[in-house]
Amino acid sequence: MITSEPILEVNGLSKQFGKFTAVDTIDFDIQDGEFFTIVGPSGSGKTTLLRMLVGMEKPTSGDLLLRGNRINDIPPAKRPTCMVFQSLALFPHMSVGKNVEFPMSLQGIRDSERRTRAFDLLRMLHLDPDKYFNKNINQCSGGERQRVALARALAYDPDILFFDEPLSALDALLRKILQKELKDIQRRTGKTFCYVTHSLEEAMVMSDRVAILKCGVIEQIGKPDEIYSSPRNAFVAEFMGEVNLLDLTIGPAGTPAWNTGQDFIPVELPISDLKVTNEQPRKLLVRPESIRFLGEGETATNSAPVRILNEFMIGSRVQYHVEVNPHCQLTVERMREEKPGEGQVRIAWETADSQILES
Amino acid sequence: MSVATLKEKLRVKPLNFAGVFSASPFGLLILFAFVAPLICVVWYGFMPAKTFDLAQAPTLENYKTIFGATYFKSILWSIGLAAATVGILAVICYPLAFAIAKVFRGGAAFVTYAIATSLFISENVRLFGWVIGFMKNGVIGGLLNEWLGIEVDSLLYNVPVIILGMVYVYLPFMLFPMSLGVKMIPDQVREAAFDMGATKWQVFHRVDLPLAMPGIMIGGLLTFVLSVGAISEAKILGGQKVVTIASDIETEFTYAQNWPLGAALSTVFILLTTVIVFAALSRFDLEQLLGKKSEA
Repeated sequence: MITSEPILEVNGLSKQFGKFTAVDTIDFDIQDGEFFTIVGPSGSGKTTLLRMLVGMEKPTSGDLLLRGNRINDIPPAKRPTCMVFQSLALFPHMSVGKNVEFPMSLQGIRDSERRTRAFDLLRMLHLDPDKYFNKNINQCSGGERQRVALARALAYDPDILFFDEPLSALDALLRKILQKELKDIQRRTGKTFCYVTHSLEEAMVMSDRVAILKCGVIEQIGKPDEIYSSPRNAFVAEFMGEVNLLDLTIGPAGTPAWNTGQDFIPVELPISDLKVTNEQPRKLLVRPESIRFLGEGETATNSAPVRILNEFMIGSRVQYHVEVNPHCQLTVERMREEKPGEGQVRIAWETADSQILES
Repeated sequence: MSVATLKEKLRVKPLNFAGVFSASPFGLLILFAFVAPLICVVWYGFMPAKTFDLAQAPTLENYKTIFGATYFKSILWSIGLAAATVGILAVICYPLAFAIAKVFRGGAAFVTYAIATSLFISENVRLFGWVIGFMKNGVIGGLLNEWLGIEVDSLLYNVPVIILGMVYVYLPFMLFPMSLGVKMIPDQVREAAFDMGATKWQVFHRVDLPLAMPGIMIGGLLTFVLSVGAISEAKILGGQKVVTIASDIETEFTYAQNWPLGAALSTVFILLTTVIVFAALSRFDLEQLLGKKSEA
């Protein structure tokens, strides 16, 4: 259940290490019960931000409010939040069960109740308690450890669970399974999850809302489909994966044109009254699936001659790497049945399928 | 560890030539420098007293002498002094080991070298240095008298000063394995414990201590074995106040010229030490101690 009440408010949060600003005056709210993901490339400050949110790092300036109360100076031990580490940080000298019971034993919960709750949690995470409770942590597989770490964090019963990309060390298949499981558990427990990752794909799969971080600043924050359908700028678009970003300029004819690095190809813009000037560079976003190959003698508003470099099978689709010239390459994605012609072909896209972005 | 799993682990695998060949220099060394002398000592213990010949009818008279006399006192002194040394070392080394492993950054190497440097000087030379410090009108007594007018008698020849000497001499042997042990505690595991609301004390005894235990155990065993056989501290700093078992053995082999009795005493002492060490080891997983289980 997502309520419109913020559980955590981040106001102008900054962190400086000497002269280096890792996190630069960030503002956002996390709603009660939502799955919120902070995503950014390495060095974007996402880990520093997370460490401040859990209290392991002191902010240089700004405020953290948990349910309206300022928690800047409260140490992690006294905060009702809990983090699942990238390394998982399980206790190697304890059994699976003892790991899960650890936070409850600190809270002074009685043995029998502790045992019952640990069993329930293990069951919820698809670990058979009879088989796993006494199992050595070192004998567990990567996926099992993930589940134990999550069970231990849930046993702490925190208001917010933080995740420092715990799935990054797993193979792709297992990662996909656990992403869905994580989302499922978040929905079932109704807990607020705040996840940090470098993979926007992972963020899109699991999250209710995503914040994209670059160089310590939030570039865009919103629901996954909002981010997908209208990325705010070229960084966000590029971060989403393989997209084509065409350099926009004013061509020799005085009309908007695509600068391919060798020549200018006139293009029609989706927003007609937008002024493209050479002072303010903009990019045209055209998704690989929005580009098609033109047949013999066919014409289109936006088109360019290309040479096909490579083709890759990706399930029911084929991805083509094409070049307009040696400085300018594009990605095209078509259904398997649509074969392009041989040698020199032309590509085209509908004006409505393109988007103008600030670079 | 059950007997079955122990047997499983010790199961002899088919010999392979390269392995045997590579191990042979060490094997020969162990055979001639350790196993053979050990057998000689044990066998000597069964020879008639005050003889110097291995080819006589074995007898138990030396063992009768040992259990009839007051050697058990020396043994108790040795074990008591060693236990006190190990106990004190564990308490004073842990904070330093923790600091070296987790707190000091560049400073750790400096502290390590500073402590290791003391090993470059002979133990006896260092102990005589302490004698000069502690004797009547020595460095400490002299300064106290000169500056504060306090008359101090010799501070030597008592049990605490023997233990002080042993603690000082064996400190590096406890500190270094211990700091390696503390280094093995992953930082994030400690952070996770704090994050879940653990206090400093809870992190210490539920996370740090068990995870650093291999290093602490190795340090403890090393210092125990060294200090239970110690001889110089009791002799130099303790005068003849306390006689350790090692000193008794030395007397039998030298002054008393009773090699069979010395050998029998050695055998008893070796057996006792072995029992104590294995009793301590059996409480811990040897494989984990050797770091084989740290990562699966």
